[in-house]
Amino acid sequence: MDFELDDDQRELQAAAADILTKECPPAYLRGVVEGDHEAEDLWTTLCGLDWPGLAIPEEDGGLGTTAVESAIVVEELGYVGDPTPFLATTTQFAPLVRRCATAAQRKRLLGAVVAGGSGTVAIADHTGAWDPGAPPIGATRSGDGWTLSGSASFVVDGDRAEEIAVVARADTGPEVFIVPAAEVTTERATSFDPALHVATVTFDGVTVDDDHRLGGDDVAAGVAAALDEATIGLATHMAGSCRRGLDMALEYVREREQFGVPIGSFQAVKHKAVDMYVAVERAGALALFAALTVAEDDDRRSVAASMAKAAAGDAQRIVVEHAIQLFGGIGFTWENDLHLYLRRAKAGELLFGGAAEHRARVARAVQASGGLEHWNDERGAASA
Amino acid sequence: MRLSFDDSTEAFRQEFVAWLEANAPSASATTERPRSTAHLPEWAREWQRTLFDAGWLVPGNPPEFGGRNAGLLEQFVHREELSRREVTPSFNPQGLGIIAPSLLSFGTDEQKQRWAAPLLRGDLTAALGMSEPGAGSDLAGLRTRAVLDGDRFIVNGQKVWTSGAHDADFILAFVRTDPDAPKHKGISALVVPTDLPGLTRRPFGSIVAQDDLDFNEVFFDDVAVPAENLLGDLHQGWSVATGSLGHERAMLWLDYSEMLDRFSANFGRTMRERDLDDDPLVADWYGGIAIDAQALKLLGYRTLAKTQRGMSATEQSILKLFGSEAVQRANREAVEALGPAALDHSVPTGTASHLQLDAHSEGWFNRYLRSFSGTIAGGTSEIQRNIVAERVLGLPRS
Repeated sequence: MDFELDDDQRELQAAAADILTKECPPAYLRGVVEGDHEAEDLWTTLCGLDWPGLAIPEEDGGLGTTAVESAIVVEELGYVGDPTPFLATTTQFAPLVRRCATAAQRKRLLGAVVAGGSGTVAIADHTGAWDPGAPPIGATRSGDGWTLSGSASFVVDGDRAEEIAVVARADTGPEVFIVPAAEVTTERATSFDPALHVATVTFDGVTVDDDHRLGGDDVAAGVAAALDEATIGLATHMAGSCRRGLDMALEYVREREQFGVPIGSFQAVKHKAVDMYVAVERAGALALFAALTVAEDDDRRSVAASMAKAAAGDAQRIVVEHAIQLFGGIGFTWENDLHLYLRRAKAGELLFGGAAEHRARVARAVQASGGLEHWNDERGAASA
Repeated sequence: MRLSFDDSTEAFRQEFVAWLEANAPSASATTERPRSTAHLPEWAREWQRTLFDAGWLVPGNPPEFGGRNAGLLEQFVHREELSRREVTPSFNPQGLGIIAPSLLSFGTDEQKQRWAAPLLRGDLTAALGMSEPGAGSDLAGLRTRAVLDGDRFIVNGQKVWTSGAHDADFILAFVRTDPDAPKHKGISALVVPTDLPGLTRRPFGSIVAQDDLDFNEVFFDDVAVPAENLLGDLHQGWSVATGSLGHERAMLWLDYSEMLDRFSANFGRTMRERDLDDDPLVADWYGGIAIDAQALKLLGYRTLAKTQRGMSATEQSILKLFGSEAVQRANREAVEALGPAALDHSVPTGTASHLQLDAHSEGWFNRYLRSFSGTIAGGTSEIQRNIVAERVLGLPRS
């Protein structure tokens, strides 16, 4: 493993940042948040750049780059508070399909993503728990097909994704079904981050034929791995939003003067800024590591996902609190853009398990291995 | 987890590991423990000399200074293997890590032969005379005076926190040679043998124990130091001082990383022994420390990768701050998690390594106290934050 991006990856990062600065500036995001417009044109732009296809294998019509390239874009999208279905489509739907579908299903479903289609994953129950062993949707055989019943909550983009991949309980264990949005009832939930769609998706005895069941070899393992990828995607996105909060706060304290000097010259301000920086670097490093475990099929993936999500959670706590505080009164206004990005960072903490839940997972795994060094040595890939 | 390197670096690693396994002293040979950071029992002196002669002491150095002209990645894997095996190459760590590289960077050929080579071979030990009662974080405010008088400097003043001075053969002392110049521009570096008349060393106990004697006050009372002992140019001591600490900082994170790894193993075992596994609060911070430890490694590796590619690595600036504070958190939480059981601070917190200076045989509370050396020495966490804010984040100076 090499923990530094290569030249092509740096180029992608710079290009993504550049494009998104133009295509999704604060005024655009504000327009979405204030309900003036939706984000279809931005979604079209992102698809035109082929970004949804980055981590989709070439044989399925994608660009076939690694999870790292995809993470670079996801992080930059977090930085601009992306209001499109990109996160759910590329870090939730596509990994689940990639890992659980047959070759023919992959080609069809992932091909649709490459062509600009959107998708999401329904798995969480009404408490937000996302246990693949006990999803809120049940599946029973009916004739040659299946009947799906139940309600999934907190489905990211559940109200607007074209395809919903639902993890359901069947007699035989977990199964994944692909259900077109037209077959389900969705109700968008209110959210303090209006640019992040969250919905309840109800399957009221929806009947699908067997071809809609993902027919890969080991669905249970595929679901677990896909959920790791979803967690990593969200953590990476949050790391980007946190970095935005940090950058905005830094820019502000360099300029804002009180007592005749920039407030950034005060130690109390500097120290808060550095604490944010350390938390953002910590989260960014662990997000990259987690993406590398996906790219290199490393056994540490699941715990690395938890490390990344916990670190993103730690970062958002510090950034949300310090950034608003450093902006002072102006940060308390609706007109200031800071809150647009902090909303995303905080909302991310509430989905796919919060920092405390993920720390507990890390603790169990690391302790069971006899400490961190053993965990790394035993489970880490032997070479780059 | 380790970075994997190209074949030749890995071959270098294997060669060193094989050498270590064949040459490291056994526990029975090391029963006399070093009493300070400048005291070398005979076995420790021999161990350092063996490393020196084999070119394994400081692989980046040329052979005449205990190395083999190794590259950055080779130096890294060397340090990594020492660290993870808990093997200390020199029990005079400030001599090896700070003073010798300063002598090699700023010394004349004669000074290198006279001081650096014997220091590296373990024939001499040294202490670093930087801090003073009135010059801690404001190091450049130091006031120990040195007046050039013919072929010698006459030194008067006082140093403090001088680790190992009472056992050291010489002190690399930073002194004021031009009291009229701006404070950074009137400092010089002198090699001061500790047997010179007028030099008095008084060790004092650390917060850990009354008899934990490593720190010293050092008094200079008309000490006559040969002018040839000036290191670097006259009045240019500040660049020697900042260069000295730079040597120490480049891979310092690895030590914190190893401390956290060992903590993770040792406290994980303690949790099991004391039935703390299921305590959600204990698990919460144990998980948090593991995450800190992993992040520190990743940031350190990234710094190394960037340095190797000739890129600037801003992450470097936060590694000491982050690493030292993570170690402190870990030990603080360990003390409180154990409850009254932690009162007995004679209970060992881990397996002792006979080739390690670090006192594993201590209880958690002592380890917590020792963690403050990380957040205070070598630039306090507060000073580190100021530096990061100004140099990395671009905030204005106060």
